Amino acid sequence: MDATLPRQTRLRALRTDYFSTRLDTLVTLGFGLLAAWVLWSLFDWGVLHAVWSAENREACGHGAEGACWAVIDARWRLILFGLYPFEEQWRSALACAVIVLTGGASCAPWFWTARRLAALWVAGFVTFYVLMRGGVFGLTEVSEQNWGGLSLTIFIFASVTLLGMPLAIVFALLRRSQLPWIARTMGVIIDAIRSLPLLSIMFTFAIVLPFVLPGWMIGDKLHRVIAGYALFFACYQAEIIRGGIQSLPGGQEEAAQALGLGYWHRIGHIILPQAFRNALPATINQLVITFKETSLVVIIGFFEILASGNAAYGNSEWNFAHVEVYAFVGLIYFVFVFALSRYGAYLERRMAVAER
Amino acid sequence: MKFLLTAAAALGLMAGAASAQSRLETVQERGKLLCSGHNGSYLGFAEVDDQGNWEGLDIDLCRGLAASLFGKAEGHLDIVPISWAQRWPALQSGDIDVIIKLSGWSQSRDTELNLAFSNPYFVAGFHVMTNADLGVESVAGLDGGSICVSAGTTTERFLAAYVEKLGIDVEIIVFESGDEVRTAYFNGRCDGLTLLAPPLAAARATSENPEAHVILPDVIALEPEGIIVPEGDPKWLDVMNWMLSSLWFAELNGITSENVDEIKANPPSAQIGKFLGVTPGYGSRLGLSDDWAYNLITEVGNYAEIYDRNIGVPYALPRAKNNLYTNGGLFYPLMVD
Repeated sequence: MDATLPRQTRLRALRTDYFSTRLDTLVTLGFGLLAAWVLWSLFDWGVLHAVWSAENREACGHGAEGACWAVIDARWRLILFGLYPFEEQWRSALACAVIVLTGGASCAPWFWTARRLAALWVAGFVTFYVLMRGGVFGLTEVSEQNWGGLSLTIFIFASVTLLGMPLAIVFALLRRSQLPWIARTMGVIIDAIRSLPLLSIMFTFAIVLPFVLPGWMIGDKLHRVIAGYALFFACYQAEIIRGGIQSLPGGQEEAAQALGLGYWHRIGHIILPQAFRNALPATINQLVITFKETSLVVIIGFFEILASGNAAYGNSEWNFAHVEVYAFVGLIYFVFVFALSRYGAYLERRMAVAER
Repeated sequence: MKFLLTAAAALGLMAGAASAQSRLETVQERGKLLCSGHNGSYLGFAEVDDQGNWEGLDIDLCRGLAASLFGKAEGHLDIVPISWAQRWPALQSGDIDVIIKLSGWSQSRDTELNLAFSNPYFVAGFHVMTNADLGVESVAGLDGGSICVSAGTTTERFLAAYVEKLGIDVEIIVFESGDEVRTAYFNGRCDGLTLLAPPLAAARATSENPEAHVILPDVIALEPEGIIVPEGDPKWLDVMNWMLSSLWFAELNGITSENVDEIKANPPSAQIGKFLGVTPGYGSRLGLSDDWAYNLITEVGNYAEIYDRNIGVPYALPRAKNNLYTNGGLFYPLMVD
């Protein structure tokens, strides 16, 4: 029998998958060559002919064949930390590391109870804020308007998520309320905010609100923008959570009621854990979008990583090197977003195991 | 967005009417000047150095203003990063005290937005740059060719009007951003590139071969850039006008940041002695200290020094109309008496 069935070797698989007909062969070769050419050109531009160190700046510029990474060598601190005082930038770096570590730690299953996760994030966030803002423990004070670069992007993302997520749960539960006027009012609020562009919400919170709010409520512009963004995030995330809840069979809640569990027990132990599991892909998607849309704050004059990138090539010395700077900033975005989506995929696999 | 801006400006009007105090006193009480920066960089006017410090012509004027008010800029100046769209409401709401952000003096800004402009400190012409090989000497020579311009700016409109006036046939190719339009021109997508003179000079200076491009003498449109304060605050506006005047007065009289100490110790005329605060009067009338002009020049130098440091040397843009009247330019100091 062995002799009649062809053994499935890797080579044979390759042939049947990619070279079985003449057209297949043509398509494989064509796209293979195209891919090889693109990769080679990129490698040639980005590595072989690239200028790496700021001391060799003269080799850069128009007419040079390779990338000018010298601009990153000279200006990386500006891109990462923006206008943060130069001597204090270690604080900004440490603060970023704290948040990244907090994010990494919350991937560990040990932290997966509401209390531990909340404690971890509050601790991480407070450390970040104290390091960045200073004014205590002998750290000089650095006001929010001098924050910038990667740490500002991370700060906006982390605080929007931390504020927005609990708010989203509240919104979702209110929208499912048994009392029709609460459910409907919440529905109208969510739909109204979702129908507005994020940019106009940010603009309103940053620029129009100071005119209408009483003085003690105005606060810092950055805080207002984060509040507006968190509200926007919460409305989208509330709908995602509601979707997760609705995908549960009605029997779950009825069974819990029949057992005599109170509202908070039903929600906290039966409904929400399952709803979050169902809503995980959409939630990760929403987080990725939120991270990327932090760059909109440029419009209201914040120095986040895209703006500091713009400043990095914006002088007489490096004016030609915008492609390199944007590639670098793009790479940073990629690292964060890719890590986020890989983490989401890991969670899904793990939960699939739990379901079996 | 336009509606939001107008609403914010209108609200600002009401807020402004409520407070009778001059912004000058507010700033002096605070001990700190809040001046406009940029969200990123605007070549020559607001840039950031390797260590995250602001520099540029607009930034130097902010520093000069802070030094005029407080003796020195260090510790008394916050550069607030703001975007173009945000500058008017930010001024009205008090996020910043003054706009020094290459902003042209237009009628709608002066009236509807309720802003007050100082005398222009920079006149920026829109020019066309073209390839030297074409041998063209003015925009009329580009008949039958094409010119690149960025979208949504006043430039596009001005260029169309200018081309129509000349009665020539030019294809206007519109691009979204400044980077794009420059790249398009340098890749040969069009024969000419229209920009404001400073960024145009910057594009030329940092190109592969600056000699290969010429900036044509035609002025498509002229934009007088002023310092902007809220309407109805004459004391604060006076400070702006006299600061600019002092920069030109110093240049006209050869006072620089290098020799200002010498000249103050031994003033060549009573007028210059008064200007530098040796004899009282020049500051107290404005509500400033009498040696404020001395502090100003010590901090940033005279107008020529500011210009050369930020525009003249790095971007090789000749001063042209931005020179003193004695050198064929448009600027002159007010009378020191």
